[in-house]
This record gives sequence, structure tokens and C-alpha cells, in this order.
Amino acid sequence: MKKNWWQDKFNLFMVAVAFFTFLFMMTAVATLMIKGLPQIGKALAAPEIQFAIRLSLYTSLISTAFCIVIAIPVAYVLARMDIPMKSFFNTLLDLPLALPPVVSGLCLLIIFGTTAFGAWLEEIDLSFVFTVKGIIMAQIFVNLPFMIRVMKSTILSVNPRLEFIARTLGCTPAQAFWKITLPLSKNGIIAGTVITWARALGEFGAALMLAGATRFRTETLPISLFLNMSTGDLEGAMAAANLLIIISIISLYIFNKFGGDFIGGTRGV
Amino acid sequence: MIRFADVSIKLGDFSLKNVNLEIKEGEFFTILGPTGTGKTVILELIAGLYRPDAGKVFINGVDAENIPPERREIGFVYQDYALFPHLNVYKNIAFGPQLGKIPSPIIKERVKDLADMLGISHLLKRFPGTLSGGEQQRVSLARAFIMKPRILLLDEPFGALDPNTKRMLCRELKKMHLQYRYTVVHVTHDFNEAGMLADRIGIILEGRVRQVGVSREVFENPLDQKVASFLGAEPLKTVFAG
Ligand SMILES: Nc1ncnc2c1ncn2[C@@H]1O[C@H](COP(=O)(O)OP(=O)(O)OP(=O)(O)O)[C@@H](O)[C@H]1O
Ligand SMILES: [Mg+2]
Repeated sequence: MKKNWWQDKFNLFMVAVAFFTFLFMMTAVATLMIKGLPQIGKALAAPEIQFAIRLSLYTSLISTAFCIVIAIPVAYVLARMDIPMKSFFNTLLDLPLALPPVVSGLCLLIIFGTTAFGAWLEEIDLSFVFTVKGIIMAQIFVNLPFMIRVMKSTILSVNPRLEFIARTLGCTPAQAFWKITLPLSKNGIIAGTVITWARALGEFGAALMLAGATRFRTETLPISLFLNMSTGDLEGAMAAANLLIIISIISLYIFNKFGGDFIGGTRGV
Repeated sequence: MIRFADVSIKLGDFSLKNVNLEIKEGEFFTILGPTGTGKTVILELIAGLYRPDAGKVFINGVDAENIPPERREIGFVYQDYALFPHLNVYKNIAFGPQLGKIPSPIIKERVKDLADMLGISHLLKRFPGTLSGGEQQRVSLARAFIMKPRILLLDEPFGALDPNTKRMLCRELKKMHLQYRYTVVHVTHDFNEAGMLADRIGIILEGRVRQVGVSREVFENPLDQKVASFLGAEPLKTVFAG
């Protein structure tokens, strides 16, 4: 930027907008943390928060694991294979990203709550409506497209000729994938995993629709925040909120550390 | 023996049209052509990255469509070396043998021999990202050689080398070729290199094979105006000086 930028009205205006934007964002988060953090010790001792933390960790870890395992093959197909209607599938994948989570949740509720398929799942003891499994399902549904996107751009950044060279050296397609493409996608997998996990921890709308908000049953951290707010327990709400903020900051840090160069995944090492 | 029978393939905007080509067993065949004419694509068709849209590629008389790349016994040295960035030089070279059941002391020995020959034994612990272009090239050669392929595909293998190293490696390559008699398909735009190495030369222009013949013949009797003007880009006398 020029040295005497403040002498120009236009520059001054732009900088002012930027300044107040950052100020507002910082104040909003900081106020909550200043008010909530001192009480976090007490809040952590409450059995309800402990339950919410446990349930959040449990559901988010499982849903993240599912997202990884499903996203890698899907991303591989989209990145490497010549399939018909590829752009249609790409758009379809982006849809849940644009959809409000409550709408996604309603979609899931309709499938699992009102169809013969849902009834059949119930029979084999896979019930998703108003259950913990429902929370996991909601998190997967909302986050999977996101994970697929990260993995797709990661795999695209790995030179396909490397995999092919591995083939000429004797690898089967599966071996070439395991020995070349997957290790070279490591940073993308880490970044995608961390951000997916953080998003799963914070998943609210879809989980609320499918699994409901029942204390000590489907009460994750964001649901706990919501329940405490609606009963006027601001302190409890702030405790949950602060935990979520801390987790977000840490995971953003990790995401940037690894995600920063997963576009250049072919260089690695 | 490698045979292209009326092979056509379209890749994006580029198309390779009705290529007919026969490369004999044990021959050193050089493909000469300007940039962007499909030289690399021809090598990739031989190695099995693409299958032709029309026509067939035969390897030793067998329709290559039925042979996956890992069973074609091909060594491929890419123009950009395509070393595995997450493996060190040793593991890059040993990659192929380590897939099989060869005991590791034997692999170690073979890597050492090749590395000595190519002058890269001091680099074995380094990662590709830290190597110079010429060093990467030699690692890529070693990685292909170690498989003792029946067909060696060399895509501008000496592009990044200084003239002395290049001459040295050319001589080494020629010697190894005479000794082991594998088939070599070699791509270059360097007429000197072609004249020095090739048994026969194929000239490819704009996705078509224009002329094939013993190297001196091609240089002395260009088939048509286009080939002549392509070859005319460099004075012919220098070609056979070396
Ligand atoms: N997978 C692909 N998809 C689309 N276009 C491709 C693909 N592979 C190659 N091409 C195009 O085909 C043309 C020929 O490519 P090729 O790599 O064979 O050229 P070349 O003769 O090896 O050139 P150079 O001497 O510069 O290496 C180029 O225009 C290239 O962009
Ligand atoms: Mg090329």
C-alpha cells in the first residue's frame, strides 16, 4: 500500500469498513469468552455438560470416521475417473453445502421416519429418529460433501502420472493407490478430518430435526447450549459455547497448518 | 516388438491420427518431433495409460488392450522424471523390486550397483524435492532400469543435462543397450542425440508419423517439404559429427 494512503478518501473508506468489521467480530467472540471463561471450571463439573461433552466427542469421532472412509473413494472417482454425468454428481454433492442444515435434517427425518425403508431399518435395530445414531447420521449427511470436496481437490493435486509410473513398476491399481496417491494426500486428509470433526462437533440444525433435543439423551454441546438458553440458564449456555469456540480455534489452526499446502500435495515431504 | 495399427486417439483438443508404426525387438528407436506433436502420448499408449479410440497397439504380437500396464514389462522415464516425492531416492529406485518377493539384501545390492553406474550413490537418502534436474533424471533412469524391462521408454531423458554428462550418459545407455538388447523407444528434439543413439528414427509432426527410416537416411533424404523444414532447423552436418 502507498505510504500516505490515509490522504485518499477512497482508501480511508475501505480501511474503515475493514477495521470495523474486524472490531465487531473480535468483540463478539471476546465478550462471550470474557464472560464465560471464568465460569468454565464450574460448568465443567456439571454432569449435564459432562454428558454433552462425552456425547459430542463420541458422535463426532464416529461420524468423522465414516466421512473419511466414504469420502476418499467418492473423491477418487470424481477426481480420476471418466464417469458419465460427472457435473451432475458434482452439483448434487454441493447441494447439502448450500442447504440450510434444518432442511437437510428434515430430509433425513422424512426418509427415516416416514418411509418403508426407515421402517425396515428400525426392524433391524437401526433407528435414527430421536436417537444418538440419528445425531451421527445428521453429522455425516451435512459434513460428507465437505470432506469429499477437500479430498477431491487433494487428489486432483497429486500428479496422476505418479500412480501410472507405479503401475509400470508392477503395482496393481489398488497398490498404486495405497502406495502413491493416498500417502501423497496425507495433508489433505488431515486437514479435511480436523475441519470435518470440528463441524461435526458444532452440528446443530440437522441433528435437532432428526434426533431431537432431549436432556441426557441426545444432548450434544450445541444442543445443550440451545436447551440451556431456552430455559434461561445463560451460564450453562455460555460454558458450552466457550468449549465450542476453543475447539474451533484449535481446529482452524490445525486446518491452516496442513490445509495451507494440501493444494501442493505433489511436493510434500 | 511393438506395432501400432492405425491408432487414433483424441485427448482434449489434440488428436493423434492413424499412426502406423513398427518398432522391432531389440531396436533403439527414436521419435523426433517438435513440441506438442504427441510424442509423449505415443509412449503413454505403449505403456498403457490410454487405450486407443481406434486401431490397436500390439506388444510382441499380443493386442495390448488385454495387458495391464503392470504386466507390460516396461520401464518409463518421464520427461518430468515423475519421481515419488514422498519416498527417498533409495525407495524410489527400489520401489519396483520391493513389490515382489525379492529378498532385501539383493535389492540393496542392485540399487547400489545402479546408483554407482549412474553416479548417484551419494544421493540415496535424499528426497526428490531436493535434487537438481539432472540428478532426478538419473534417479528416474535407475528406477526404470532396475526392473530389467523388455521395453524402455525414454521421454527426453537427457533434457536437463549439461553436454558432457549427456554425452557420457548417451554412451553408457548405448553400451547397455548393446549388451542387454532391450527395445528402446526414445523421444527427443535433439538431432545430435538422435543421430548418436538411434538405429531408426520416426519423424512425427502434428499428430502424424511422417517418415520412418534408418537415421542417416532420414536426415539425408527427407520425405517431404514438412520433414525437410523440420530437420532443416539445425545444420545437418553437426548430426553425424559425434
Ligand atoms: N490427458 C490429456 N488431455 C488433454 N490433452 C492432452 C493430454 N495429454 C496430452 N495432451 C495434449 O496433447 C498434445 C501432445 O502432447 P504430448 O505430451 O504428446 O506432446 P510432446 O510431443 O511430448 O511435446 P513435448 O516435446 O513438448 O514434450 C499436447 O497439446 C497436450 O496438451
Ligand atoms: Mg513430451
